[in-house]
Amino acid sequence: MSALIEVTAPAAVEPSRWAWRRFLRHRMGLVGAAMLLVALVVAVFAPLLAPYDPYESARVTILDIYQKPSTAHLLGTDDGGKDVLSSLLYGARVSLIVGFAAAAIALVIGGLVGIVAGYRGGWVGSLLMRITDFFLVIPDLALQIVLVAIIGPSLGTIILVIGALGWTTTARLVRSQTLTVRERKYVMRARAIGAGDAHILRRHILPAVLPLMLANMVLVISLAILSESTLAFLGLGDPTVISWGQMLNFAFGRGAVSAGAWWALLPPGFAIVWVVLGTTLLGTALEDAMNPRLKRHHLEAPGGDVAHDRPVLDAPPPALEVAAPILRVRDLAVEFDSPEGPLRAVDGISFDLRRGETLGLVGESGCGKTTTVLGILRLLPPGGRIVTGQVWFDGEDLLSLDGRALRSFRWTRLSLVFQGAMNALNPVRTIGDQIAEAIRLHAPETSKAEAHRRAGELLERVGIGRRRAREYPHTYSGGMRQRAMIALALACEPDVIIADEPTTALDVMIQAQILELLGGIARDFGMGIILVTHDLGVVAQACDRVVVMYGGGLAEENEAGPLFATPQHPYTQQLLLSFPDVAHPDRPLRGIPGSPPRLDAMPRGCRFAPRCPYVFDRCTVERPPEYPTAAGGRATCFLLDPNEEARR
Amino acid sequence: MSEPLLLVEDLVKEFPGRRSALDWLRRRPARPVRALDGVSFELRAGEVIALVGESGCGKTTTGNLLMGLLPPTAGRVVLDGQEVGRLSGRGLQRLRRSAQMVFQDPYESLNPRMTVGDIVAEPLQVHRVGGSRAGVRERVDAALTSAGMTPVSAYLRRYPFELSGGQRQRVVIAAALALEPSLLIADEPVSMLDVSIRAEILNLLSALARERGIGVVMITHDLSTVAAYADRIAVMYLGRIVEHGPTRQVLAAPRHPYAQALLSVVPVPDPAARRRPVILGGETPDPSRIPSGCRFHPRCPLAFDRCPIVDPPLYTVGPDHHAACLLVENA
Amino acid sequence: MSGRGGYLLRKIGWALVTVLVVVTFNFLLFRVLPGDPAKSGMRDPRLNPAAVETLRARFGLDKEVFLDLDGGGNPLDTQFTAYLGALSRGDLGTSYAFRDQEVADLIGQALVNTLWLVLPSQLLAIVLGSALGLFAAWRRGRPLDLAALTFSLFMWSLPTFFLGIILLVAGANWFGLPTSGRITIGGDFASFWDLAWDVGRHLLLPTLTLTLVLLGEYMLIMRSSVLDVFGEDYILTARAKGLSTYRIIRHHALRNAMLPMVTLIALNLGFTVSGAIQVEAVYSWPGLGALTVSAVADRDYPVLQGAFLLIAVAVVVANLVAELIYGWLDPRVSEG
Repeated sequence: MSALIEVTAPAAVEPSRWAWRRFLRHRMGLVGAAMLLVALVVAVFAPLLAPYDPYESARVTILDIYQKPSTAHLLGTDDGGKDVLSSLLYGARVSLIVGFAAAAIALVIGGLVGIVAGYRGGWVGSLLMRITDFFLVIPDLALQIVLVAIIGPSLGTIILVIGALGWTTTARLVRSQTLTVRERKYVMRARAIGAGDAHILRRHILPAVLPLMLANMVLVISLAILSESTLAFLGLGDPTVISWGQMLNFAFGRGAVSAGAWWALLPPGFAIVWVVLGTTLLGTALEDAMNPRLKRHHLEAPGGDVAHDRPVLDAPPPALEVAAPILRVRDLAVEFDSPEGPLRAVDGISFDLRRGETLGLVGESGCGKTTTVLGILRLLPPGGRIVTGQVWFDGEDLLSLDGRALRSFRWTRLSLVFQGAMNALNPVRTIGDQIAEAIRLHAPETSKAEAHRRAGELLERVGIGRRRAREYPHTYSGGMRQRAMIALALACEPDVIIADEPTTALDVMIQAQILELLGGIARDFGMGIILVTHDLGVVAQACDRVVVMYGGGLAEENEAGPLFATPQHPYTQQLLLSFPDVAHPDRPLRGIPGSPPRLDAMPRGCRFAPRCPYVFDRCTVERPPEYPTAAGGRATCFLLDPNEEARR
Repeated sequence: MSEPLLLVEDLVKEFPGRRSALDWLRRRPARPVRALDGVSFELRAGEVIALVGESGCGKTTTGNLLMGLLPPTAGRVVLDGQEVGRLSGRGLQRLRRSAQMVFQDPYESLNPRMTVGDIVAEPLQVHRVGGSRAGVRERVDAALTSAGMTPVSAYLRRYPFELSGGQRQRVVIAAALALEPSLLIADEPVSMLDVSIRAEILNLLSALARERGIGVVMITHDLSTVAAYADRIAVMYLGRIVEHGPTRQVLAAPRHPYAQALLSVVPVPDPAARRRPVILGGETPDPSRIPSGCRFHPRCPLAFDRCPIVDPPLYTVGPDHHAACLLVENA
Repeated sequence: MSGRGGYLLRKIGWALVTVLVVVTFNFLLFRVLPGDPAKSGMRDPRLNPAAVETLRARFGLDKEVFLDLDGGGNPLDTQFTAYLGALSRGDLGTSYAFRDQEVADLIGQALVNTLWLVLPSQLLAIVLGSALGLFAAWRRGRPLDLAALTFSLFMWSLPTFFLGIILLVAGANWFGLPTSGRITIGGDFASFWDLAWDVGRHLLLPTLTLTLVLLGEYMLIMRSSVLDVFGEDYILTARAKGLSTYRIIRHHALRNAMLPMVTLIALNLGFTVSGAIQVEAVYSWPGLGALTVSAVADRDYPVLQGAFLLIAVAVVVANLVAELIYGWLDPRVSEG
């Protein structure tokens, strides 16, 4: 699943306790439960509700057959002259008994097979899964017909056959859930503690598997009810009981169609639909509540990422410096939708990037650094919105670009290297193909061969042989994928590359290789680079200037030299004190007490106030603006306010 | 000199290689993966040793062997005078009490359905220690206090999702401490945590070693995080320890070219001290195809004619300081 | 390439094993369970012991079931090997209900008819279902998505045979379409085109029913598969590269989304078969399903056995084809 959607999603919640609430919010599920409840009441009280006893044999004359609905027979009579309504009410009993009993059998078999296959693994697990696959392939209904035909149709047989063949989906589901839980670190930890299988199954596996199994059971019930009615319709129902499928079988087989007796056909059919729809709705809602799926994706409403009421400046702010910045970000703020109202992930950040400069964007998790760059790129995940601010790129207002203009801007002027290149490359297309695609998209006159030749050259430049252009991403190691991603970013020779945690999750030696590669590219191509990272060491080694972010806002910005030598913001100071330095192993490290603020619980005053050693009353009520620092940068701390000089 | 708490001798671990259906048809044998190829070290009570290396060097496999989670192919692990690999039943149960593990990912290593109190009490229940409810409660309180989760009553009924990353890692440590172990194996204990939190967890671990005499084996890829905390460092490459010595000496004057390169690429938070890193080409080879002679020679900037032929043992290069390189053979 | 070759070998090998298990299972099912025609025939009190022996020998029941180890003769001369031998000659026995008709001929003709029904429906349902699923995922949460979801939920809850009955009544009353069989009995067809027109009219309602039943299922599968792909980071990369939404879907999402779709279509073949059986029963379409149902009614065990074997083997083969398509679509199969 996408890391980038999750980066910005609200904090994870504890599953089982929230599942119930999610279910209650699910209107579909409640409707399904109500429908099932009605069916249950009908089945239990059928003798009280039914006007006639359908099991009582009465003398029938030809005039009683297929009578139209009347006050005596609300739903008319059937081919045997019996009251359709009464049969319908009694039929609920058979459907529900078969459904519940068969589902219980399927659940026991499927649950056992799934847990054993998932937990034991090894050859037992493989064998069980092979057996499951076998039954999954054999067509259910054909086998049910053969078995019921051979054994003879009785209610017990039908229940057994449906149950004994209906366990495969449960087994697969339970196995995959068991496997997931078994591989969880907390189960490994329990094993390391010395817990035996019984303990692990009881405390860790079953609590995770049982709720899912129950949700699945509801769906298996609906399948069993469908199977029973189908068998009965095909003439394989228990002849001694009345069921909906059998009512349809008799009516269809004995001339209800030609007699125009819709009342003998439609009620039993829609009764089946009622029960199956009810159980399906309930089961789907339960599964949804247990296992909420990602609600968002990357192609949802592209273009809706900038708020309509965003104030727009008419012209770019005048560039005074000789080396004019190529990228200017002013007062950028990004909000995300959440059930509790909008959450501000980035709150008014401003910085410049000059041509050929490498800028470090540093901060801890949740500080808004990735959201900032996704905002600049106009690639915010759905639900994210730029609410204020400007982004000027070479005099062009990026936030007013739309559609075609935005697409032709992308990659030709500004490209991106993602964290975790594993998922950022398409697994079913060759690396060379993915690079050539970008070249030909933005220079359509390039021939296919020429584009592929260029892709080969770029791969060579990043240290991958051009022969490997024809390979797929999965044959590349992690480091090589990151190199390929850099080659892709260079495809259209952009002015700026944004690299978001390009070395996270790579080994230190590979990290050094990638940083060297990025440095060389910045030199050779004169590109501006924004390096987003949490690693102060990487910043110190690779960046000219640094922006430190905290809780969605700017903490401090300065040239790298003075920032590390004389940090002005208490957060920068504390962060440096907590950062290990292999060159000074004797320096004791001091962590910062507490943890970074959550988006939904941002302090009212200075965002760092709860963890700041120099906090004073003003910090908790007022948010500090940016002040220029003595070292030539800027920082958001009241200690830098000339009026607070006495406190320094 | 006292008896070491932990003795690791010539540890070898092979995993069976995977064989594709075509290999099977061609009768090509599976190639075993030698994850560990003769690892030896000692650890005294109250000491912190760091096993440092890149992915595929065998550091995590070592941790699993120390815990008795995997049986060794050859060699032995002796903890508190008991040989780990030979134990079964009650002996293994006792071992599990004396060696505890702290995992890398505090977000994953706590069961989201259990409260903090239940999580810390779980090892006590597994081993039936602590006796009565009150006894268990007392031990849980003590463990949480030792891990810095105070006031304890504020956390007992919380679920993991209500805690920050640092607090979760403290809960993991508390659960490990509940059985009062003599050895703690910490596998990348801080790599998933925010920078500002890491120092506190590392300080906690080293305090446990110093004040309670717990031996700590810290497994990590990051030399800088252990620099201030480990007493000794063992640098691993492709299943072997290639350099081993007191932290200060290894950091100040590494002797093995791999250790030198590894140290040179650790980013230092000081732009004024930008160094020329020794960047090795390529990547760590596949442990099923270990190069001949010195296993590092294909990537070594200083390799010479004997390196592809001679597999160097650990030579002594200083007090308690060893390196496996032909260049220090006569040092 | 060796990885892909291995994948191919594994899948073909597994299909062969499955077929063998199906054959054995089929053999045992009709031998061991009560209802074996030869056995029930022999219980007839009017037969003298000698006649019973003759009958036993004729049906090969005097032999051991699997392996004859103490009989002194060829240990492989057993009921099972006799069955396998007959199978390999394409001999499935003789029908009871249709006197002197070879089962193989009966079910061969029925299979052709079933394919005429299943293939167009399957194709139509896959194409329409994929398109609808793609669109629903893209417009997630919008009216079209909700309509599509409601439709497939309802389709899922509607028993196939009931949908068949409804369409049959509607088609016959409002459009005058034929509702039974493959061809107008006693019809006089001047040309091939007249014949094709007649068969086509007969095919219309059954095909429509089966397509509708499969459509909802495929739409749901495609929708969830596309949603997963749209959430992947390489889609974001494609957007960052400046690709239009159309190009992203066409060049980056479609193939990846088809992967799980292919697997699930393969796993759902049993669902298709069950739909076909019901449709054939409602419209008296002379295919395998209708043959199975009538064989049950007639207690025509050789036909039932042969039809079940053919259905199972057909599904295993179709499954294999799907797996091979998967291997061709996904370059990563060498890992699996």
